[in-house]
Amino acid sequence: MDTKKFEALLLSVQKPGRYSGGEIGSVIKDKQEVDVRFAFCFPDTYEIGMSHLGMKILYSQFNSRDDIWCERVFAPWQDFEEVMRRENIPLFALESRDPIKEFDFIGFTLQYEMSYTNVLNMLDLAGLPVRSADRQSLSPLVVAGGPCACNPEPIADFIDLFFLGEGEEVDLELIDLYKKFKAEGKSKKEFLIEAAKIEGVYVPSLYELSYNDDGTVAQITSNNAPATVKKRIIKDLNSAFYPEQLVVPYIEIVHDRVVQEVFRGCIRGCRFCQAGFIYRPVREKSSDTVNRQAKALCENTGYDEISLSSLSTSDYREIEPLLGKLLEWTQDSHISIALPSLRIDNFSDELLEKIKHIRKSGLTFAPEAGTQRLRDVINKNLTEDEILTACKTAFAGGYTAVKLYFMLGLPTETDEDLKGIADLGQKIVNLYYDMPNRPKGKSVSVSISVSTFVPKPFTPFQFEPQIDEQEIRRRQEYLKSCITTKKISLSYHDSATSFLEGVLARGDRRLGAVLEAAFKRGCKFDSWNECFCLEKWLDAFKECEISPEFYANRLRSFDEINPWDHLDYGVTKKFLVCENRLAHEAKTTPNCREKCSGCGAACYGEGVCFENR
Amino acid sequence: MKTVRIFYEKRGRLKFVSHLDMTRFMSRLLAKSKIPVWYTEGFNQHIYMNFALPLSLGFEGLYEILEIRLTDDGYDLNKCLEALKGVAPPDIDFISVDEPVTAMKDIGFATFRLDFDEIDQGLAKSLTDFFESDSVICQKAGKKGKIKEFDIIPKICSYEINGNRLILVVVAGNEDNLNPTLIMNAFFEKTGISPPFYTVSRVAIMDKQGNLFR
Repeated sequence: MDTKKFEALLLSVQKPGRYSGGEIGSVIKDKQEVDVRFAFCFPDTYEIGMSHLGMKILYSQFNSRDDIWCERVFAPWQDFEEVMRRENIPLFALESRDPIKEFDFIGFTLQYEMSYTNVLNMLDLAGLPVRSADRQSLSPLVVAGGPCACNPEPIADFIDLFFLGEGEEVDLELIDLYKKFKAEGKSKKEFLIEAAKIEGVYVPSLYELSYNDDGTVAQITSNNAPATVKKRIIKDLNSAFYPEQLVVPYIEIVHDRVVQEVFRGCIRGCRFCQAGFIYRPVREKSSDTVNRQAKALCENTGYDEISLSSLSTSDYREIEPLLGKLLEWTQDSHISIALPSLRIDNFSDELLEKIKHIRKSGLTFAPEAGTQRLRDVINKNLTEDEILTACKTAFAGGYTAVKLYFMLGLPTETDEDLKGIADLGQKIVNLYYDMPNRPKGKSVSVSISVSTFVPKPFTPFQFEPQIDEQEIRRRQEYLKSCITTKKISLSYHDSATSFLEGVLARGDRRLGAVLEAAFKRGCKFDSWNECFCLEKWLDAFKECEISPEFYANRLRSFDEINPWDHLDYGVTKKFLVCENRLAHEAKTTPNCREKCSGCGAACYGEGVCFENR
Repeated sequence: MKTVRIFYEKRGRLKFVSHLDMTRFMSRLLAKSKIPVWYTEGFNQHIYMNFALPLSLGFEGLYEILEIRLTDDGYDLNKCLEALKGVAPPDIDFISVDEPVTAMKDIGFATFRLDFDEIDQGLAKSLTDFFESDSVICQKAGKKGKIKEFDIIPKICSYEINGNRLILVVVAGNEDNLNPTLIMNAFFEKTGISPPFYTVSRVAIMDKQGNLFR
């Protein structure tokens, strides 16, 4: 592409830094010197995609090999898409500005269902047919991974193969196989059959779903492929690849700091949380590893902030030694550490003294439900006392703002549970004004953010109906009416977005037609309120004669075949059924460290399941 | 503590880095360079940085100046320059590190170079007529959204057409400042010529006496 013309076009759009490339840490290679070119696509804007840790890890890892050149691609915002379509600029990779159509791999990370239309739009912008069956040649192969790959059926028609679980090992095994097949001049079909033999690779075209008269799945049959596909995990995180350099964006991104992973998985088993089940078992890095990696990243990027990343950093066993090690060098280098809210009251006086100097981030809790009964239903082991105690400590330390996260529409939820949300907020407000040592002359602010519960595959709630839109709105209004003070601010999610997310999360392959119809109607950036249009989606459902309510609002029986039942994430369906039953009895399940509940993840032979054996 | 100025060029893909992003970028670069920079001592401590003049998005800057403070008065300025070069990405060239000569408030003018694909005779004539006119009233939205009217001609000190290049010396600094984009937009609007493609580079910053600002 003509650089001068390209740059002139960039100046006509907002935030040209999204498309200019050339950031520190971005990798430039000679395309003649590499065997495999990989376009790593994040189906959302640059600012969001660049904040994603998985992409940073795989980008560095791929590029650590001389024979692979991995480049980044993001969904262009509408203003630049218009320019691209008008000027016939095909979707390009940021590093080389070469069209991704010429690449060997186009890999998407599927972080949330609402990005699916962007995947189709990006394939179309690249100049490729969106359907896998319409792309005949071996390359470019369109692959995808990420949490949504645990039920990939709605998007299966468009993707050649999925990676299940963690990608560090399986991605490279696949690339090596591809190199061999490319050299031998083999066909795409031959390659896919061979690829399906790699553990963790799911080739949807080798599986067929048949349906009963009532619309449920009758059978999932495989052809030239294993009957079930098992997700992959990295067994030892201390020896696994972790980047020493990151691409450091020029424009401000969502998480503009060093993101340091401390462990994968979560011991808690909150019953609504997909991540808590699909990333099992918990595997920790040692505090030495974390400290070493964080230090290298700070030195190489120049960032002045580290956030410790995991699903629940409070549960990291070595948090105290880790902070001690980090503080040894971060304080002199003016580097701040973002800490989890809850754990603070357990720290030793010495450590408390040290972290006093750390720049304060917000105080945030996620009780998720307003009453202890409902928190027991969802197995969220956080008590009101714990929250109030932590708030008390924090208020005494000068904090005046608290953020609380809740969910609305959880199974068995009643109006009493919603009122409990408002009551908890009020208790925190009262606590503040009852404290004689509260910050003088300052008002307290409690922000309550309420999202809508969406049942997800591989959770004990995968069988549950999602409440319908009308009921969501009624409950939101009710909750609003329960809040009587201006010290509490309430925000909630758009009900239409949650409804569609619910449809796509537990959908089957018939939704592919709907997805394509929605894309053709111009749906994209569905997770952005200013872009989302439910009407277009409903038209698409109507055109395909598919009822979205069938997927979102229906109670599924335990013995129904789910569209994801041929995928094995370690956690057994038997366990999920058992957990579902306990939920309806409002009985909690101890966390993995207290007692093993036999979820099935021990089959990986690693992690928390073996800590005490 | 010692105040020093870093002189650098900002080109290529870095043209798309806005002024605000530039401050973040420079603070990370300085942290990486391990130069003993001075941090502010307020509530929100950060590296002290003072840019001589902000540069518009899309402009190339060939005479950019960033002022910082060193905690070590004896720190060798050549070492400082080498450290910066060591961490610089492509598209930014560090030229020198020197002690300040003129105060920041004495910045008076800036020289811009506008490169066109072609300045034919017609365009050259229109440009000359434009710059020779007695007054050109422009509108500009102030910080509070209030539209302000002013004459740009007195703010343009000189112009020169040299081949396909237009060189403009305009007022710059805290008290008065004129962006060449504003001039060219006024020109295209007044003459009705459809704007051709051109690039803008700021090539020099001068003090109120017209000497190179250092």
